[in-house]
Amino acid sequence: MSGDLSTPEPSSPGVPPAERLLNLVIALVNTSASMTKQQIRRGVAGYGDAPSSEAFERMFERDKDTLRGLGVPVVTVDAGGHSDDVGYRIDNEAYALPAVDLTPAELGVLALAAQLWGDKSLRTDTSRALTKLRAAGSAEAEEDALAGLAPRVRAVGDAYGPLLDAVTQRRVVRFRYRAASSGVLAERRVEPWRIAARGGGWYLVGRDVDRGAPRVFRLSRIEGRVRVGAVGEAFEIPAHVDVDAALGAAGQERTAVLAVVPERASAVRARAVPAVPPSGAVPLGRDVVAVPFTSVTTLAEELAAYADAVVVLEPAELRGEVVRLLQAAALLDSVPEVPRG
Amino acid sequence: MAERADDRLVRLLGLVAFLDGHGPAPVAELAERFGVSERQIRDDVDQLWVTGTPGYWPDDLIDFDADAVERGVVHLTNARGLTRPLRLGTREAVALVAALRALLDSPPVQADADRAQLVRSALAKLTAATGEAASAVDVRLAHATDPEVMAAVTAALAGRRRLLIRYVTAADVVGEREVDPARLLTQDGSAYLLAWCRRAHGRRTFRLDRVLAATVLDAPVDAALVAAVDVDVDVAASVAGDRLAPEVTVTFASRARWLAEELPWEELTELADGAFAMRLRVANPAWLHGLLLAAAPMVLAVDPPDVAVQVAESARAALAAYGVS
Repeated sequence: MSGDLSTPEPSSPGVPPAERLLNLVIALVNTSASMTKQQIRRGVAGYGDAPSSEAFERMFERDKDTLRGLGVPVVTVDAGGHSDDVGYRIDNEAYALPAVDLTPAELGVLALAAQLWGDKSLRTDTSRALTKLRAAGSAEAEEDALAGLAPRVRAVGDAYGPLLDAVTQRRVVRFRYRAASSGVLAERRVEPWRIAARGGGWYLVGRDVDRGAPRVFRLSRIEGRVRVGAVGEAFEIPAHVDVDAALGAAGQERTAVLAVVPERASAVRARAVPAVPPSGAVPLGRDVVAVPFTSVTTLAEELAAYADAVVVLEPAELRGEVVRLLQAAALLDSVPEVPRG
Repeated sequence: MAERADDRLVRLLGLVAFLDGHGPAPVAELAERFGVSERQIRDDVDQLWVTGTPGYWPDDLIDFDADAVERGVVHLTNARGLTRPLRLGTREAVALVAALRALLDSPPVQADADRAQLVRSALAKLTAATGEAASAVDVRLAHATDPEVMAAVTAALAGRRRLLIRYVTAADVVGEREVDPARLLTQDGSAYLLAWCRRAHGRRTFRLDRVLAATVLDAPVDAALVAAVDVDVDVAASVAGDRLAPEVTVTFASRARWLAEELPWEELTELADGAFAMRLRVANPAWLHGLLLAAAPMVLAVDPPDVAVQVAESARAALAAYGVS
């Protein structure tokens, strides 16, 4: 069935890519020292399909990147002074997964964790990882311990791949970014430190090169492609990156005092803490409810949605923000119709 | 759709390493372990059979016991050096480690000490094997839930018992209902309980931060109802609307761009200056009402206009309560 591949066929139908890649792995695992590109082109089944030297180069470079991406340690061996003598082999020490003695329940945990990602590319990464762990001979997964749990993180989008490569290889990235406050689109250069998901959004935390300071970027506001710099290890990532501090999620906790119509806003009441008597008057027929909060914006949006069922008494900053939202809403029936397009 | 070459390669390498370490295995067991069909395993064996080291003479090739394969057992006789399982690539390690860390830190896991210990030990073994910090990605799941509610919900799920909940709807109406819990969806934004509701006689999705109290009942869940409910669900879509719900189109200014990834829109139309029109199906008018009040400064238009009139009227009533005009 193997056929005589010493005189390979010049073109398609040819060898399927998975078979060619597998043949390359086996060849580079078994080579005594290393193989040059020419030895690979002549000897490894699948590469003889390349109609020209250029086509072979492209095919081999792509396959090499694919293998490295999958964790196969393809290393370059410089055998002599001539570039023709550059050889390739697989580092057999670095190839193997260290022993992972997973119990069935632990493998069940990994299987559940693999379902976390809403993104196809992240799901692909985790399912490959699981295939490798299953090949290591662990017992079958057992998922009873976490029955009924379904963690999910929404899809991150196309920026994830290049940004992750940039973080792990410490390369500067460039992208066009629409600022949250002004809506202005501008080019940004960033040393990326962390990719983070919080509260339904994906973020990049890093150092804005032009502003010379740490910044947070919402991935959904990146427009177009992320371009990754050519130079690796171009900067240092701080030993401790506090994503929550960068996002302002760890702001100081304060207490809001609200006047709530009886029986209303039960979801807000569920978070109530003992109330201090408010300094001003309480509207007649309302309950005083105190709730802790960290973000004025977030709480104001939640409370505005209750309209007249909830009135903010304190602090003034929160009261002012809710009034601002309500004043905008009060004008909604007078805005001109925008043509649809 | 044809499988990607790199996915297949990982499985082919995995099959050889597993068979080398484990010994002969039935096709059915391999299919189960690698999560593919038996037909695929047989195709993989046929593929492996024709690969090997350059020269590709019989002794150069990966080989199996052909008689055993006939009987449905895969018996590897020559691994051509592929005896060890392949380590994880950087991206794979990052994705799996980040998922485990998010899971460990999540309220449903933290609600139970045994569960947390199990996730912690899986994470420790994995990080020992990947040998890198893999901290490039940092994910946190929703936290704003009453710990007592979370403990009751996860206990009911684990024990397959019915649950009595006090729930406040998006329309701000409180009621008690008995539910047969099927699944707890912990998302990055919020957590949801997917259950059969005995009051509504149907499948319902409950936002956990609107569950005011939860009690585990002695009655077991109805397994058939739970199975009917427990299908993979797009929570955002089930919360906001269904196919038959009325359509509303809201035009937002460009700075509301982030809403596009929060809301389950049907269609998004780009307009001048970064503005965009979002068409939604709205089964729950109270939900849309609240959204428009909260996001009003970024709203340019609402269609149909009577929705805007209702929202503006309730905003004016609220401003009167504040003593502001």
